[in-house]
Amino acid sequence: MAGTLALTKAELSRLMHNRRYFIFTVAFPVILYLLIGRQVSAHAYGIAFGAYYMIAMATFGAFSGALNGNAQRISQEKKEGWIRQLRLTPLPASAYVITKILVSLATTVPAIVIVLLLGRFYGNVHLPAWQWPVIAVTVWFGSTIFAALAVAIGYRFAPEQVQPITLIIYFTFAILGGLWFPLTGFLGKVGQFTPTYEAVKIGADVIRGIAVPAGLAIGLVVWLGIFVALATVAVRSTAESV
Amino acid sequence: MQSKLTQKLKQGNYMSQYETGYGVSGSATAGLAATATATATATATATAGYEGSHGRTPVVSFENVSKQYGRLRAVDGLTLDLRAGETVALLGPNGAGKSTSLDMLLALRKPTSGRIRMFGDDPYHAVKSGRVGAMLQSGGLMPEVTVRELVELITKLHPNPEPVQTTLKRAGIAQFADQRVDRLSGGQTQRVRFALAICGKSELIVLDEPTAAMDVETRRLFWDSMKEEVAAGRTLLFATHYLEEADQAADRILVINRGRLLADGTPAEIKARAGARRLSFRLDKVDEPFLLGLPGLVNLEVRHDVVQIQSSDSDATLYAVIDAGYRPREIEVTSLGLEQAFLAITAEDDATNGNSAGETN
Repeated sequence: MAGTLALTKAELSRLMHNRRYFIFTVAFPVILYLLIGRQVSAHAYGIAFGAYYMIAMATFGAFSGALNGNAQRISQEKKEGWIRQLRLTPLPASAYVITKILVSLATTVPAIVIVLLLGRFYGNVHLPAWQWPVIAVTVWFGSTIFAALAVAIGYRFAPEQVQPITLIIYFTFAILGGLWFPLTGFLGKVGQFTPTYEAVKIGADVIRGIAVPAGLAIGLVVWLGIFVALATVAVRSTAESV
Repeated sequence: MQSKLTQKLKQGNYMSQYETGYGVSGSATAGLAATATATATATATATAGYEGSHGRTPVVSFENVSKQYGRLRAVDGLTLDLRAGETVALLGPNGAGKSTSLDMLLALRKPTSGRIRMFGDDPYHAVKSGRVGAMLQSGGLMPEVTVRELVELITKLHPNPEPVQTTLKRAGIAQFADQRVDRLSGGQTQRVRFALAICGKSELIVLDEPTAAMDVETRRLFWDSMKEEVAAGRTLLFATHYLEEADQAADRILVINRGRLLADGTPAEIKARAGARRLSFRLDKVDEPFLLGLPGLVNLEVRHDVVQIQSSDSDATLYAVIDAGYRPREIEVTSLGLEQAFLAITAEDDATNGNSAGETN
């Protein structure tokens, strides 16, 4: 465990040297919220539009942070042999993946915190104190779903393939999940099965003060299960080529 | 002695030679029964003074280990033991199975059959116990951190490491310790990799083609620091296709070709096995059957009145010629390097087992 923490610390130090990831995880949702978030009379998901869009943008920032940068880095590190180098140390085999998930959790914090602050002070979202941490933590843990997917993609594909793959997934889940704008009709129905929709809907239902349907939480767990399984298969099947 | 007149092993630049299929074709070299022995003979003394040695448990043992990639048998029934304190070179041409063998030893790949032990344990647990430090050709470094940060990280992962400052000094990287890892030259990168292999103060150090990206000066520095590691009692196993390096650095050489161990001995023994000296002279009446029966003869070539003999015991060979009443003229005895020995051993193997497989991979 000490080794895993040492690696996590080194990874965080790396991120401090390389701040490009902020553009996707923080700047993009912040700009979208500033442009679209303050629609005073509008509503979505049964709550004020500003509140919905706050949760949506927090989710957007967190999941893009968990997916895009991570998948690219893992793929690159596999190609360059860093994963191989780590396997020659006493660090347990699972530590690399655990570290990536921990680092992903750390990198999504700024996006979530900044967007929620923006919602409160720019979007005039007023909530009971307990709802803020509930929403933040839901989005935060929801992002691990995409951290697991990033591991699956990073292990499976070469760096130059990773970029288009993650972009397709990123846009698909962002749009279908209703992160950019609420969907209606057929696409809206399909979109209800995405983890991005489920995360936002849980937050919206908390704000509405209604009981969160169990299906939403189960949905998130199922997605997590699927991506963890894909990641496990990817790690195992590439063991001899890493 | 079933040999016909055999083609002379070509001399010249050994690098270009065996990378293009050894420069030897179809020669059957007599007397080269280079059967590999499984254990070293001269290691008892080396073992005695080694702290933390584990009695008679080999540091590394391969028991009939094979690795199959599809139709290619990259490693074929490899059996060997390494004892504490030895410096062993795994010598073979590209594609001989060196890297695959080291990968299996380091638990990066699983043998198709056979068993590998390191310190009496399975490779994975031996690696995780921190008792081995390794440097692979394919091993990468974490980008975007400084050299010092990286060495500190890997040091922290080991149970009983060297102080970071000592590692930086030994690997000769202290002067650029604050540079970013992704902004180093090839030679500098290689030295950082070396630092990662020694920072854990591990009992066994495994290096795959360690000097591949190094210039002459860096190479010399590298072997100097490697000698310090060996003097400190570590066991060293390195793969190389530089014969010179194996000859100078190793006290034991394992010659490997097409996945099989062909010879195992000291550099001197390997040279002797292939016929360590070339004897040449002029002779008026050449009697080939007589020459082929000479003691120590490994290889014979006759061109007009010029006789060239590759011999494992040039003195005995020459005396036998003279004792038979011949008066050879213009006698020259030259020493054959490990290079020719290596070529002879692998050429023998290729002649017996077909030429193609060695070039795969």
